Amino acid sequence: MLRSLRRAADRRRQGHGRYDWLFSPYAGDELVAIDCETTGLDTRTAELVSIAAVRIKGERVMTSGSLDLRLQPPASLHGDSIKIHRMRGIDLSDGDTLGEALEKFLDFIGNRPLLGWCIDYDLAVIDRQLRPLFDFGLPNPCVDVAGLYRREMHRTRPQLEPTMNFERVAEALNVPVMGRHTALGDATTTALMYVRLKKGALAAS
Amino acid sequence: MVNMDLSQPPFTLLDDSGRERVARGVDLLYFSRDEIVLDAGQPGEFVYIIHKGEIAELDPYAPSDRVRIAHYTAGDLFGAISILKGTSRYRFKVEQESLCYAMPKLLFEHLCDDYPTFADFFQRRLAQKTRLLAERRAKSGVNMAGFMLARVSACMRAPLIVDAATTIAAAVNRLNESHADSLLVVNNGRFGVVTKTDLLNALVMEGATQARPVVTIAHFELVSAGPDQYLFEALVQMTRHQVARVVVVERDLPVGVVELTDVLSYFSSRSYMVSLELEQADDLDALAHASERLPELVQTLMAQGIKLHFVMDLLAALNGRIVDKAYQFLIDPRYRAQSCLLVMGSEGRGEQILKTDQDNALIVADDSDWPDRAMAMQRFTETLYTLGYPPCPGNIMVSNPAWVDSESGWRRTVSRWVERRDGASLMNLAIMLDARGVAGDTRLLDRLREYLFDSCSHDELLLSYLARAALHFAAPLTLFGTLKKPRHGIDIKKGGIFPIVHGVRTLALECRINETSTLARLEALAGQGRLEVDFAADLGEALALFIELRLKQQLTQLDGRQNSDEPNLVVVQSLSSLERDLLRQALHIVKDFQQRLTHRFHLEY
Repeated sequence: MLRSLRRAADRRRQGHGRYDWLFSPYAGDELVAIDCETTGLDTRTAELVSIAAVRIKGERVMTSGSLDLRLQPPASLHGDSIKIHRMRGIDLSDGDTLGEALEKFLDFIGNRPLLGWCIDYDLAVIDRQLRPLFDFGLPNPCVDVAGLYRREMHRTRPQLEPTMNFERVAEALNVPVMGRHTALGDATTTALMYVRLKKGALAAS
Repeated sequence: MVNMDLSQPPFTLLDDSGRERVARGVDLLYFSRDEIVLDAGQPGEFVYIIHKGEIAELDPYAPSDRVRIAHYTAGDLFGAISILKGTSRYRFKVEQESLCYAMPKLLFEHLCDDYPTFADFFQRRLAQKTRLLAERRAKSGVNMAGFMLARVSACMRAPLIVDAATTIAAAVNRLNESHADSLLVVNNGRFGVVTKTDLLNALVMEGATQARPVVTIAHFELVSAGPDQYLFEALVQMTRHQVARVVVVERDLPVGVVELTDVLSYFSSRSYMVSLELEQADDLDALAHASERLPELVQTLMAQGIKLHFVMDLLAALNGRIVDKAYQFLIDPRYRAQSCLLVMGSEGRGEQILKTDQDNALIVADDSDWPDRAMAMQRFTETLYTLGYPPCPGNIMVSNPAWVDSESGWRRTVSRWVERRDGASLMNLAIMLDARGVAGDTRLLDRLREYLFDSCSHDELLLSYLARAALHFAAPLTLFGTLKKPRHGIDIKKGGIFPIVHGVRTLALECRINETSTLARLEALAGQGRLEVDFAADLGEALALFIELRLKQQLTQLDGRQNSDEPNLVVVQSLSSLERDLLRQALHIVKDFQQRLTHRFHLEY
């Protein structure tokens, strides 16, 4: 509700700007799975370390034309998160600036619907960075794969309380986990999970 | 990023940047059950590499029992041929939901342009693919570790000890008798070593007489090692002291000698050691000991990627020597000259690698006088059993009087077989065709074989009866469908080895070829123009592949890693994708051969 109000406001403001096309409805059949690695888990302070996006067309996960961006090391990059995503400051020294990265990201995803594992978190972090620079939040419609899985499980096996752990869900859907805790790996895995869910993986088993 | 396994051929033929291009250029695709990935007649757009799942290749135009062409599982690659040929010849259908990597046509073609060896991979013929497999196996150098961990005691030979009074002449005699290079002289409880070089120097350079005691030229500063030391330590010792042997000393007594040649041959394959031991064996115990080491030798040779053809030749020679020696120990020379011992079946063809049942027979000259022949043959069979050759379940052994006969008796038997043409006679004829003389007077066998050829090679009816057996078992290509049963395997003896061996045997009979090994027969058939050279080579490679697969199973059985006692059953799922591909092609060749036989011997009905 709040999001759609904001989107309406953003759209008015962007009217005939450089990114107005992002606000037009999408007519194609593609989706984009996104994932980002950040410096923390708090959406109010976490900063982006890397962003990845993979297009899905039908049942095909287009890993060949995927986007994998590394950003310049943010100030809040510290030990705890490095342990998870294994990106040290030095690995990021030749990364993009935040502005460049977000611009490439917007050009890649366009107005396609977005897909992610607990996508609300990624959206919140990206929006927080996007708003001061571009003066709008991501307007794309979003699908949360975790939510989709929970709903499907509830529909097909109402008696079970689903385990909502990324690896466990991947296992349940018979999807190989590719490069866990790299943005591109997680995005690809999420994309595969989505394709499997859409093809009725749960109903079939 | 995509975690694709690029460590298997054909991707090993690319360099790092090529593999990087593959990893960046592929998409991921999901297929659910029964979906058709690529239909016959469709243009190929992608090369697919299966990450998970199973896909079948079907021929939609074939009759229903021959529909299945191949079966692909994780790690396999398909669709490349469709790209190279433009359209797909067959239909690819998903058997189990699959996740595939799809490499676009454009990228594949670029890779083929940039890496000629990669492109060649898809156009290779069977023989070339086998070589690739052997090369890969050789590269892994499996048995280096075995050498590094070997102890001195595994490689030493018994010392040759003489007393101080021995003359040079006597010493040289002893050396020659026991095929040794050095001996030890004991003098007042001390041991000295005398080598052939020392003897030469003494005789030629110092002009010593032959009657001089050998102790005067011995070296008493021994380079020694303990029996529990590692072999490479002994090698280091030799290099350091610039000698070619070390004396193995245990509790101040010499217990053995390790020669440099022994260490090197141990390192290279141990084949030299085994054959040496065989030649030196002067009683049955020593022979049994040498014969026990054959399986180990096979294992080493195979691990080093030696071509199976040569391994078979070597083993046939060694087995022949063992049987010959046993015959020598047991049979009086007088009788030996009047008889010819034959080995038959796989041993006769020289295709037996690990020891199989004893299949043997005896031809005795017409004018021979040998009163206790039956007794001697009984003893011989028992001796072979103690040497590790299990008795033949069909009782085709010299202990069975039916397989011992005079030359004219054998001729009558052969004529009887030719006349009867029933199952047992045909089998006996086939067995006789593979006979090879290993001991005694082999002219007896040559004459019998001449007679066999004379009475059979123009008998079209007999030949077609004989050839029919080769069609008895269909190549198990259709069995690929039942792979889901985990214990189920395909019988490569019935489906692969037997049709080739028997078909080639029949053709050899028709063309009067004296060779007994299938590979040599194939060569001779190609030489006579009976088979095309290419086809004969492919048949040989196919046979080598089947034998190798069976051998591998037998070897794992020897190690006790596998409980199944049926080495002929190959479980296709456990093979690597390259091996599976080879097996499939080899079986196709068998099928082709069977069709040719049908055509040649008019077996269509």
